[in-house]
Amino acid sequence: MWQNFKNGFIKENPVFSLFLGMCSALAVSTTLNNAIGMGVCVTIVLVFSNVIISLLRKMIPDEIRIPVYIVVIASLVTIVEMLVHAYAPALYQSLGVFLSLVVVNCIILGRAEAFASKNGVGSSAVDGLGMGLGYTFALVLISLVREFLATGGIKFANPFNSEQILFGFSIDALKGFTIPLMSGPVGAFLTFACFAAFFAMLKDKAAQKEKEAQKK
Amino acid sequence: MKKMIISVLFLAFVSAIAGAAITFFNDMTAPIIAVNAEREEQATLRKMYPDGEFTEISGYTESEEILAVYEVKGQGYIVKGTATGYNTSTPIIVLVGFDQNGVSTGMLPLQQQETSGYGSRCFETEFSVPAYSGKSSAEEVDMLSGASRTSEALKKIMEAAFTAVQEVR
Repeated sequence: MWQNFKNGFIKENPVFSLFLGMCSALAVSTTLNNAIGMGVCVTIVLVFSNVIISLLRKMIPDEIRIPVYIVVIASLVTIVEMLVHAYAPALYQSLGVFLSLVVVNCIILGRAEAFASKNGVGSSAVDGLGMGLGYTFALVLISLVREFLATGGIKFANPFNSEQILFGFSIDALKGFTIPLMSGPVGAFLTFACFAAFFAMLKDKAAQKEKEAQKK
Repeated sequence: MKKMIISVLFLAFVSAIAGAAITFFNDMTAPIIAVNAEREEQATLRKMYPDGEFTEISGYTESEEILAVYEVKGQGYIVKGTATGYNTSTPIIVLVGFDQNGVSTGMLPLQQQETSGYGSRCFETEFSVPAYSGKSSAEEVDMLSGASRTSEALKKIMEAAFTAVQEVR
């Protein structure tokens, strides 16, 4: 079970290794606030959809499993969207349409089909949590680089009260040397490519080690 | 055949439960969302009259350009107006302030995506303060050369706003 959970971070990180859910990952990773907000929303939806689908897995007729998954996921996303709109309006504003687009985030449907429909409730929940946190982790990494280079600082505000800043710093010496490009799509792709290469290297090294171990 | 009926019933059952859950959460969150929207509206209006008390009023001829008219207690009126300028996908939305005599006190853009450097200059305070404040009719409002479509849109809003304020005053 621990292995399931850990997989989501590096070896099977949904964004950097499986290349799933990239549309939203690139679009909302402009600031740390957005990245964490989006990550938490996706994690919640992922855990609940995995649990519900795992519970229903023996009842769902095989022919209509995809429509059932979509209904479950879409309802969960709608509920999360309403809650965010009510309790974290600033986050709702900045995530905009990408919050509703979690419905078509392929990580969620992918895990429902590949994992939850074949495994028990407990391990499905853990898998959802691992994948969700892996997605959040990826978003946070990208957003840290992008926000820092684009604004010369990092800021994290309380999502339930946008005026309360939980922590943040900005380096005055960098004023005038910021790269606004990094907050645009180009910055997203550049940052993403660097991280994806780094993660590929990690995976490669791990695979080589395994091979050598086998030889011995 | 039997299998098909079971599938249909199952999907209908799942959808019904999902619908019920969404209804429940909607009932729970709708009032909070409404309160938030109201608070946000007040905060925007306060940008024009910082210590005003606002009430939305009716009694004007409804038109495409007027989204809402607010009475600022003892101080004047605010009209929220909209029109399409050069950018047809994002309409311009502005607040226009009036004092109690129906003289305009200023214009504040809430949403505009007009061409940067041309139409957008209509919203820069350097132009917008003299052009939109202290006027007693829409004919006195200035236009900006090189920004005709944006100016036309703003003129349309101003005309509708002056008419609406005349009617409610």
